Amino acid sequence: MKKNRLWAVMAAVVMTAGMMTGCTEPAATAESGAEGAAAEAFNPDKEAGVSIEELREQLGAVPKVDGEIKLGAVAKSFDNEYWRTLREGYGEYQTKAAEAGYSITIDVTSAQGENDEQGQLSIVQDMINKKYTGLLLSPISDGNLTPGVEDAKKEGIPVINVNDGLIANADSFVGPKADQNGELAAEWIAEKLEGKGQVAIVIGMPKAFAARQRTEGFENWMAANAPDIEIVAKQNADWDRQKSKDLVDKWIKQYPELKAIFCNNDAMALGVVEAVKAAGKDILVVGVDGIGEAYDSIRKGELDATIDSFPLYKAQIAGEVMLRKLGGQEIPRVLWTPQALIDAENVDKPAAEIIGWTDPVYEQ
Amino acid sequence: MKGFVKRFSRELEVVAALAVIMIVFGMIQPIYFSPSNLLDILDQSVINGLLAIGMTLVIITGGIDLTVGSTLAIVIVSVGNFTVMGLRPLPAVLAGVAIGFVLGLVNGVLVAKMRLQPFVATLGMMSVYRGVAYLITGGWPVLNIPQTFRDLMDGDVVGSLSSSMILFLAVTAVAYILLKHTKFGTYLYAIGSNEEATRLSGVNVDKNKILAYAVCGVTVALAAMVMLAKLGTGEPAAGASYETNAIAAAAIGGTSLAGGKGSIVGTFLGAILLQALKVGLVVCGVDTFWQYIATGLIIVFAVYVDVIQGKLAAMRLNKKAKA
Repeated sequence: MKKNRLWAVMAAVVMTAGMMTGCTEPAATAESGAEGAAAEAFNPDKEAGVSIEELREQLGAVPKVDGEIKLGAVAKSFDNEYWRTLREGYGEYQTKAAEAGYSITIDVTSAQGENDEQGQLSIVQDMINKKYTGLLLSPISDGNLTPGVEDAKKEGIPVINVNDGLIANADSFVGPKADQNGELAAEWIAEKLEGKGQVAIVIGMPKAFAARQRTEGFENWMAANAPDIEIVAKQNADWDRQKSKDLVDKWIKQYPELKAIFCNNDAMALGVVEAVKAAGKDILVVGVDGIGEAYDSIRKGELDATIDSFPLYKAQIAGEVMLRKLGGQEIPRVLWTPQALIDAENVDKPAAEIIGWTDPVYEQ
Repeated sequence: MKGFVKRFSRELEVVAALAVIMIVFGMIQPIYFSPSNLLDILDQSVINGLLAIGMTLVIITGGIDLTVGSTLAIVIVSVGNFTVMGLRPLPAVLAGVAIGFVLGLVNGVLVAKMRLQPFVATLGMMSVYRGVAYLITGGWPVLNIPQTFRDLMDGDVVGSLSSSMILFLAVTAVAYILLKHTKFGTYLYAIGSNEEATRLSGVNVDKNKILAYAVCGVTVALAAMVMLAKLGTGEPAAGASYETNAIAAAAIGGTSLAGGKGSIVGTFLGAILLQALKVGLVVCGVDTFWQYIATGLIIVFAVYVDVIQGKLAAMRLNKKAKA
């Protein structure tokens, strides 16, 4: 008897659930259909992006913008050196633009850690309510700021997506080409190894766009240009230094002929450096991000190279692009920011010189 | 012999599972059985193993400590700073242990004195401690840890046996004795089985609970310092989500999250098993996505074996009672 009742309840639950999904599903797809499809398809690496030099050439000077400009910049998390440097870049741009005659403030905030998706959205919504002039957003995930961006659009506030995660419905994306930094690493390693030997890849977090693209860029370049280089191992280490050291401890024993290791970020690369040092091996280690510790390690002759995407300048480009947009210029969907490989040869060169940086020309 | 088997039945199961895992991987990749690989498995189990031993003490009382990763972060940046400022290795280690003890003590007081649920209390403190670790360095890592400190915590002692491995074995032994051969250990089991009855029988429940968390803080501090020595760098982001692996090692070793049941040897083996699995998957080049699945299934399976065993034991008891 008891059992029968249980079945009845379960059947009812299943039926109701079926009805509810039956009712809501079409509506949900209708509403999010266009955006949803775009969110899946949008991959800046596959877009025809332009560089900042090309953009400046096309559009000329940065136009005048009347009135008070109040920009809101939201980063992923200041836990991470990368985002702290980006914040510094925004600060620098505020000073430079003010010197050029704009009445501009850039408020920079971040979520509370890289898992705080909801908190980051609240920050954005608060900025929209406070009628910010423009938003520069670096979302934690590809979807968490989408509702905020929709609200911003309703209010006519332009949105620029700075670096990953990706916002499918943003006006423009400003950031480095993620697969290109894998390519730069591959090219450098292939050259040092004279086109042959065993290499391995330490992946960040498989869910992360940057990790996937960096790895793919590396693999594709090798496949196309260095057929004698063999990628013997690739595993993820969750961006974690200790995990990546443990991983490579193993590889070194398993593949005594291993010649180079590409890591999806610098923290992992520095863990790998410890493993390589402990084993007394001569293995090239290349990271990504260009954090201060990586530069120090390169100077000490331990880490071999890192790919820096210069967040200090990326922030300034994002600010400049926003001013252009507010001034009425047509901005392309994807704008590539500079990145370069740093090794012992150029580690002490100023970044501005490496990327050939010049400040933009302003109309006013 | 029979007594031994009975007493260590759970541990023997884990050993059997470990043997199966190792034989399978060894057959696929003979390099898996090389002495240096086996030593690596032990070496790489040290950090998680130390966390898991502390975690086991707390879980036996019916609690949980989610702060282990964040406590590790505070210790790693503090001790990192001490050594860089010139504090000698041994005093630095003692300072680290003291910090771990105090952080654990705070957790214990929240749980025992303020009667917060352990999960919620340590969930909150996990965030607080992580914030403190970031504040200590302003988010930056502590670099260039002196070699003397690194040698003390993770240098070779006898052959390829490093000080961190010896530390791990020693802590396991001490924790085993603490649990099985002292009043403190007996009280922890009693508290986890029936806190009220333990209190009524005159045991100072609060004090013992607080101590369990504090001892957990100490093993976490040791793990932190091993990590500092291994990496030569102390990052405030270190140890994020390490609590899950520590809980997994304890659970595989037969520690019940309901409290009152658990074994240090089991946890030790659980930590080794998790790392043996991880290393095996790496050596065999198993795809990352499948690694998540394999690790998860092993945990679920291990706990399920425990459940079946409990049922069988109950059935046997029933039969005896009927006969």
